[in-house]
Amino acid sequence: MTDITLKIREIATRLLQSDQVDVFVGWEKGPQEYQTRPFFVRRVEDVEKLVFNEYSIHNLTNYLLKYRDSTDRVGLVVKGCDSRGIVRLLQDNQFKRNRLYIVGVCCPGIKDPLKIAKNQSGLACPPNNEEIADKCTRCLVPNPIIYDELLGESQEPHNSGERFSEIKTIENMDPNQRYQFFEDTLTQCIRCYACRQVCVACNCRTCIFDEMKPQWVGRENSTTDNMMYHLVKAMHMAGRCIECGECERVCPVNIPLMLINSKLVKDMDHFFGSYEAGMEYVEGQKPPLSVYNPDDPDDFI
Amino acid sequence: MQVIDKNKIVPLLDRLSKQSEVFVPTVKGSESGFYSWNSLNGAKEIALEALNVYHSPKNVLFPQTERMYSIEQGKQVFSIPDTFQDEKSRIIFGIRACDAKAITCFDDVFLTHGYEDSFYATRRKNTIIIGNACYQPGANCFCSSMGINPVQPDADVVIHDAGTVYAWEAITVTGQQFTEQVQDLLEEKDLGLPQLKPFSTEFDYDGVVEKLQGMFDHEIWHELAEPCMNCGTCTYMCPSCHCFDIQVKIWGDKGYRFRCWDSCMYTEYTAEAGGGNPRPDSQDRFRNRFLHKLEFFTERYDYPLCTGCGRCISVCPNGINIIDIIKRIKEVDKIV
Repeated sequence: MTDITLKIREIATRLLQSDQVDVFVGWEKGPQEYQTRPFFVRRVEDVEKLVFNEYSIHNLTNYLLKYRDSTDRVGLVVKGCDSRGIVRLLQDNQFKRNRLYIVGVCCPGIKDPLKIAKNQSGLACPPNNEEIADKCTRCLVPNPIIYDELLGESQEPHNSGERFSEIKTIENMDPNQRYQFFEDTLTQCIRCYACRQVCVACNCRTCIFDEMKPQWVGRENSTTDNMMYHLVKAMHMAGRCIECGECERVCPVNIPLMLINSKLVKDMDHFFGSYEAGMEYVEGQKPPLSVYNPDDPDDFI
Repeated sequence: MQVIDKNKIVPLLDRLSKQSEVFVPTVKGSESGFYSWNSLNGAKEIALEALNVYHSPKNVLFPQTERMYSIEQGKQVFSIPDTFQDEKSRIIFGIRACDAKAITCFDDVFLTHGYEDSFYATRRKNTIIIGNACYQPGANCFCSSMGINPVQPDADVVIHDAGTVYAWEAITVTGQQFTEQVQDLLEEKDLGLPQLKPFSTEFDYDGVVEKLQGMFDHEIWHELAEPCMNCGTCTYMCPSCHCFDIQVKIWGDKGYRFRCWDSCMYTEYTAEAGGGNPRPDSQDRFRNRFLHKLEFFTERYDYPLCTGCGRCISVCPNGINIIDIIKRIKEVDKIV
């Protein structure tokens, strides 16, 4: 990964010096060994701080939303999963391709700094796995889909076992059992909205959960309002979730959010497929739920 | 010195929970927090010997959602049939100094400076706090730098881990009365207390407030705020963050008003009825959080709103570290 770091620095220097980008988004090392974190370079002097290492887990495409309304040209580093986020933003007309310089990295699988931080915090909790992050164990797309420059050697997907096997287990539960499962899971939610904030598919200018007139979803921390929050969020994810797994990773109360999102990925493919969000970028092409087709299936309504 | 044998902690909690709701640091599944002793089924995994629990006990005195009063719309009149005052007696058992100091912050916010929050006051009046002295600071702990003595929590009684027993120290009058009730479980013993282990992070907080007073428009905020995505994780996990919103639920002509935690990280937090928003950008909200913690609160109450528990450092998805930020603020030379 040192090679990749050096190449990223080289590219960032070149882009900044030749005034091709205004900001270059990558990672820097934080105070702790494991605390690699997003880093924003505007001056060539800071390029030396850029790193790509085993903890470069964050999906940086989410930060493009911060530059949505500016004229800044942005260089950024993406892994395979992250690159699908760029496709989604382009499809949603949230960003112009010509304002982007995409450095793709073939991803060898990443460790989750949050898990290590929790393990080392001393706070009482069962120990977390410090090896490859949970989201990487479901990885189907280690190699970037869209890029201007590609770094690293092509990787095989890191997933193992049958895709959607956990979803099938839940589908096979009887309705009461399934309701109980989701009630137990979602009552833990503290409604911090980290899952929304970290999500690149959540790019609405005013989120439905922030709407006050009318207020669509109550702000009580109760089973009803929590379920409503997660149901509405899930519905909005249909056809948009790129399975980067960031929502689940950042959840401070360990809600298995990817179970919900994967079910939608599976259903989207089944009803409107074959389709997987953000798997290819064709200018002007719209995802299935962004267009109306008279033949759209409606048996499930 | 009075002590309680560690084997007597469970019988003590069992007894206390017959009269009061007792909140004890425990592990529950993949989480840990101050859970009500009676609500825990099966084996109760007490976490008194751990550094701390993941969720602070702020929920006990300041619930995330709290009903305030019910409302009813009649033909001509509008009535308030009930106001909800929670008078249940509570015990927070085994709180660490950082989290106890956060309750002191709440006391100042909700009970002083000319306004008393009746909902908080009622709950607080009926709560006894048993502190658990902390001799082994963790990797992200920095309470000592924020002016807190980890072995002397703000509490009615403080217990000190001394091997097979806890030394029992009644601090307040309430603490002495409480001690009398459990006297039969205590015994006299001569023992030495452990030595406080050194903190991995210590810094001099002096001067930070004065520095921040001239830094509102400093360019450093842009750089510090850039990685922040404005999720509310830090604010909700923080033991001392106490912002709330008041909202209403109505079905037909009946409903209730409630308050719920709010977070300065959200756009909606400062949304004004007229459509304006004084903190439109992510950076404005980020700066406000740190200025409130480190400057505004001190200006009003004479001590910072951060108690150095380090939870925000462990949970921030993007590695934002308040110790780092304080250090960066201290390094800023030029005042803009």
